[in-house]
Amino acid sequence: MSFKKILFFSAITFYAMACGNAQQNQNSDPSEHIATNIQGSVKYKQYMVEGRRLYTQYCSNCHQPDGGGLGKVYPPINKSDFIDNNFEESICIIKNGRQGEITVNGITYNQPMMPIPGLTDLEIAEISTFIYNNWGRDKGLIPVKGVQDILSKCTNK
Amino acid sequence: MKILFNKTIYALCLWSGMILMGCGTEQSKTSDRLPILGRREAVEKKDADGNTITDTIYHTITDFAFTGQDSSTITNESFKDKIYIADFFFTSCQTICPPMKAQMLRVHDFIADKPEIEILSHTLDPEHDSIPVLKAFAERLGANPDKWHFVTGDKNEIYRVGQSSYLVTAREDSSEPGGYLHDARFVLVDKDRRIRGIYDGTKPDHVDRLMADLPKLLKEYHTTAP
Repeated sequence: MSFKKILFFSAITFYAMACGNAQQNQNSDPSEHIATNIQGSVKYKQYMVEGRRLYTQYCSNCHQPDGGGLGKVYPPINKSDFIDNNFEESICIIKNGRQGEITVNGITYNQPMMPIPGLTDLEIAEISTFIYNNWGRDKGLIPVKGVQDILSKCTNK
Repeated sequence: MKILFNKTIYALCLWSGMILMGCGTEQSKTSDRLPILGRREAVEKKDADGNTITDTIYHTITDFAFTGQDSSTITNESFKDKIYIADFFFTSCQTICPPMKAQMLRVHDFIADKPEIEILSHTLDPEHDSIPVLKAFAERLGANPDKWHFVTGDKNEIYRVGQSSYLVTAREDSSEPGGYLHDARFVLVDKDRRIRGIYDGTKPDHVDRLMADLPKLLKEYHTTAP
């Protein structure tokens, strides 16, 4: 084996090992491309995949990866009467954050949530789609247009 | 031929070195005695018989005085005959602090029945994190105030102690989200003020290791007692 080959092999091995930051592979099952209803559509699945990624990046620190919140500091969003009953306000909170007391499942929380700078309307639609089609919810795809209409009426800007 | 052979050996060493390095997070997993971390100095001194002996001076936590969530003064004396775990955070932090607090809660539950172990969380944002803010935060988190101390104090003093004693990164940085640059370290301090472990407080497996190390450290102080 020549030196170059060995070096190449070493590099490949090192890359393969790396530190486990391998990207999740998108599912390429051909049956996924057959849209039967809105929830089976490719677009819905894209929103869910991106929504999960964005949730992990921006929301899960406080609300936790399982959506269960943390003590009485950060409220849950998995089983949450607030999320269930306040769809439009929840989307406004994702965009603009929130200050002051909030009651979730009968418990009062009071930890400010800062807005996330630079979150696009599409990203908010993806996060909303993820939250509203997870943990027993079944609201279907939340389109960007719908999100924009809601955001234009937010009172917590 | 010889040159090729040398190069081959070199490449193989490089390759196996990479494998051995791996991701380098495994530390002394099998050792029963925890390492003593930080800079150390060897000093020469005379013993009782006038012979010159060499003594090792280990890095220790400096004297400090901060204020706890119940307005009491927290100093090194508060941790006399205690092992404790220290970290740095601020209540309005939305990046690494909430995962740290979620993990510290696991530690808090783990040490609930271990009177010799406590927790010391320092705020990096004393201007916002007043005593009432810290008290409310601790209560909402479910922290036992006898076990888990949330402290505030002079900002520069907190940063100085953080950097020089606990060896953490802690400073103001307006380019960081929330305005502070800090790391997620949990620092394990023994009864002699020495650092015996440093763990990434956002990573459950690191915190598992911390919880496995605590009984080992306790054992050091109980080897002579039954």
